[in-house]
Amino acid sequence: MNEPRLIRGRLFRGTILLLFGILCINLFLMQVPRHDYYKSQALENRQLGFPVKGPRGRILDRDGNILADNLYIADITLPPEAIRDGEPNLTLSRLLTWFQLPEEETMARLMEQKTRGHRRLVLINNASLAQCTTVEEFRQELPGARVDARARRRYVYGPLFAHIVGYVGEVNQADIDLAATDQAYRPGDMIGKLGIEKAFESRLKGRDGEKIMEVNASGQIVISKPLWRKRVRPSEDVTLTLSVGLQDSLSMLLDGRPGCGVALALPSGEVLAAVSSPSYDPNLMTIMISPAEWKRLSNDPAKPFFNRIIQATYPPGSLYKPITSLCGLSHDLIGRHSFLEPCGGGFYFGNRWFRCWKRVGHGELDHGEALVHSCDVFYYQLGLRLDIDLLHKTALACGLGQPCSDLLSEEVAGNIPTSAWYDERYGKGKWTRGVMLNNAIGQGEILVTPLQMAQLAALISTSGRMNKPFFVLEPAHEPTLAQALPFSEENLQWVRHQLEQVVDIGTGTAANLAQISVAGKTGTAQNPHGNDHAWFMCYAPADSPEVALAIILENAGHGGAEAAPVAGRWLHAYFNWVRQQDAEQSLALVEGKKER
Amino acid sequence: MHLLLDMLIAGDRRLIFAYLFLCIFSLALLWSVTEPIRGPYEDLDPGVPKSIFFRQVIWVVVGCLVMVATARLSLHYLANIAWLLYLLVIVLLVLVLAVGPPVGGARRWLVLGPLRMQPSEMAKIAFILVSAGILSRNQGEHRQFVPTLTTFVLMAVLFVLVLKEPDLGSALVFPAIWLGMIFWYGTSGVFLLGVGTAVLSAVISFYSETVSENPLPWGIYLVILIGFLYLSRFRVLASGIILLGNIAAGIGIPYFWVRLQTYQQERIMAFFEPTRDASGSGYQVIQSKVAIGSGGLFGTHYLQGTQKGLAFLPERHTDFIFSVVGEELGFAGAIALLVLFLVIILRGLDLAQTSRRPFSAFLAIGIATYFAFHVVVNVAITTGLLPVTGLPLPLISYGGSNLLTTSFLVGLLVNVSSRQYES
Repeated sequence: MNEPRLIRGRLFRGTILLLFGILCINLFLMQVPRHDYYKSQALENRQLGFPVKGPRGRILDRDGNILADNLYIADITLPPEAIRDGEPNLTLSRLLTWFQLPEEETMARLMEQKTRGHRRLVLINNASLAQCTTVEEFRQELPGARVDARARRRYVYGPLFAHIVGYVGEVNQADIDLAATDQAYRPGDMIGKLGIEKAFESRLKGRDGEKIMEVNASGQIVISKPLWRKRVRPSEDVTLTLSVGLQDSLSMLLDGRPGCGVALALPSGEVLAAVSSPSYDPNLMTIMISPAEWKRLSNDPAKPFFNRIIQATYPPGSLYKPITSLCGLSHDLIGRHSFLEPCGGGFYFGNRWFRCWKRVGHGELDHGEALVHSCDVFYYQLGLRLDIDLLHKTALACGLGQPCSDLLSEEVAGNIPTSAWYDERYGKGKWTRGVMLNNAIGQGEILVTPLQMAQLAALISTSGRMNKPFFVLEPAHEPTLAQALPFSEENLQWVRHQLEQVVDIGTGTAANLAQISVAGKTGTAQNPHGNDHAWFMCYAPADSPEVALAIILENAGHGGAEAAPVAGRWLHAYFNWVRQQDAEQSLALVEGKKER
Repeated sequence: MHLLLDMLIAGDRRLIFAYLFLCIFSLALLWSVTEPIRGPYEDLDPGVPKSIFFRQVIWVVVGCLVMVATARLSLHYLANIAWLLYLLVIVLLVLVLAVGPPVGGARRWLVLGPLRMQPSEMAKIAFILVSAGILSRNQGEHRQFVPTLTTFVLMAVLFVLVLKEPDLGSALVFPAIWLGMIFWYGTSGVFLLGVGTAVLSAVISFYSETVSENPLPWGIYLVILIGFLYLSRFRVLASGIILLGNIAAGIGIPYFWVRLQTYQQERIMAFFEPTRDASGSGYQVIQSKVAIGSGGLFGTHYLQGTQKGLAFLPERHTDFIFSVVGEELGFAGAIALLVLFLVIILRGLDLAQTSRRPFSAFLAIGIATYFAFHVVVNVAITTGLLPVTGLPLPLISYGGSNLLTTSFLVGLLVNVSSRQYES
């Protein structure tokens, strides 16, 4: 072996051993003296899931106008550790003084959020630009404080659609517990609380994604790039059957008076307008509503939160008379032109005087005239010929006593009494046939919702060949056919003729339109709490119905005088709207041809 | 199988045992790495599929066969086909640049039906063989320059082609092997000093330019170099060439820098300033260091690594597998692994010294350098001593091409060992 080779061999070996030695020393330093440091790093090396929220789906009207969308606002938030033992930490106390926040109130609010388990405490909701800039600028002095962008729900038309669209609110524990497994909610998340927002929660919300970030022991993000992502299922819009224009005119006509109006397209069953009056601004519900404002709204005797369209039940009054007639006719208990005892302004049953709404009496009228002029005395006598359960069956066939739509869980069924119901209420044998007098004219214990009355007008006009009322075009669903009416076509034709007469010459002339014949029925529902409710239900045009409408004005008085004019004016607006739609459509057609 | 047993009895036992231990080590680690992830992140991290382990089992079996076969090849024959192999490798490397499917922004693979291969791995074998041939044929005091230059050109071609893929890690293997073999060949100390200081100059110049943004460090370095050259009393010509080389390297590095891929630039910057890019390659290194450091003296025990399990370690079955060793088996396991590699490397140096045939000696030195470079650089990267470049840990990282190449080279060493006294 030659000399240089030996030297080179040693040099080579020395270099290799030196390099391996460096590796080993480095490993030793890392794994033995600095082991504790790395071990704690490994323990602190936590991955935290951060929700990635897609914007909530919008809610549109039938023409694509946006009813509800999202507004991006900034919150100034703090970690829950900002409060320890009820005392603010340095960051929080600085912010309290810098922004001159009311200390006691703010601390109470943050404490509440903390106990509710919020991941971030919202110090300032919808912060101003100056506040955001301050937090960003003085990040060093304000460890933990952060500006978080957040989408807030915006209801573009404010009170106009409040009762249908509903609103979103912060989830409560029950929401979190009840949520489906793929819908994970965290404290502070928003959830649909009412109306469409609630019914279509899953579609509107989509599914939150998640990004897994690496955080250090104090929960601050170490590395801005997420380690993993779980994809967002994008939310989808919901398109309603309602129209802003029709809704607006109905709302203006009701003019804040307690009451309600519902209009259905025929025979599709689409709800074109549904106004419960007075209303409230759902935008108030998405921000932190002040306690005073909340108190004012919830104590308002006009009950703005009350959804009269589907939750309020009223006696139908004379709107019920077509049902009574149909019941008698279909069981051959009375003829279409039968006469009963003439009306002298009232009727003795037992020793009690049941009066007609027309004190002076209607005199002698046949069945048809009695319906047109809404003669109570005639119907008292008709009622006595009927059986309570027979009438109940007929009313149920007309869609009463049950919710109209399975979409909105808030909807109530109303009440159509049966003999069993009276037995339970008053005891067996403790009630008389006298109840039939009230039942025949839609008073007493009968309770209906305005939506049911709109549906009743619609059913009569189409002989039941229509879809059940629905509120939503998109997502499309298979429309449910209304149940067929168990009445002969002649009888229905006869009723329709009388309803046309009501508007032409009877109690509902206020709903008359110049060019289009309207058929309707007035109602004046007595109620024990105050003045009569004014009812009107109608459909138009009478010979080929397109739209059905029900109006109620609480404690307003006579249906023909109060509710019928509202209906008439709304129908006028409706037919203008139709004309405009047709014009737009043909214009679009022409333009389409031009482009081609 | 009986061939392997024969070899265990007749062949270089130290080498073969080290090789087999490393293969088993690799399989054990891959079993652990491919265990499904448990805990809160199991549905977020797809994990490394078990099939990776089973594939590696097949590769290890094939690798053993390759090793056994290579150990019995005629070295004479290999020396004769070295050039052919080199040309074939050039063709494949050009081909991979032309038609290789891009995987993660790089064309490193040639796909032939179900088979995928990395020509850059084959190139390592070809380069060692062809250089050993050239250097062994031209030994003598006065003919050093031409073979040095020839092998440099051969190396440079491979370096450039592999760098183009781009694969900086694999590309750097060629200059490393070349330096090792040239050193053994007897290139003058002045020359090596020149190359060494030029690299240092490039690094310091780079640091001045991009990190400190101030030419002062490089200026100081040059002053020190001039002083050193003056004091060491080299010939003026040699000193001048060294100085010029240093200046050229220092000025040339920015041009080289702008030609690097963005991700490579980021990795190098991340090395100088880890906090600057904590998300990309800096992240990998931070996590790897945490994993190794948290292993402690004896590790968290086999299959128990939390960093691995929590999906904190990217590339944990390939280039960063050493961090799993560090975490699960601790300092003891890491040292054991390094010792196994050291056995192969030192055995290679022994063989280089004792072999009577120059060709064998150069093969042995090339292979030893190959192992030394791979192991030192890979471990240095996972422990944060060097910037991240993709370089597998031979025999341990998952992957067929590198395993077969390494098996071939181990086979060659066994081959050399069995003939070390032949002349």
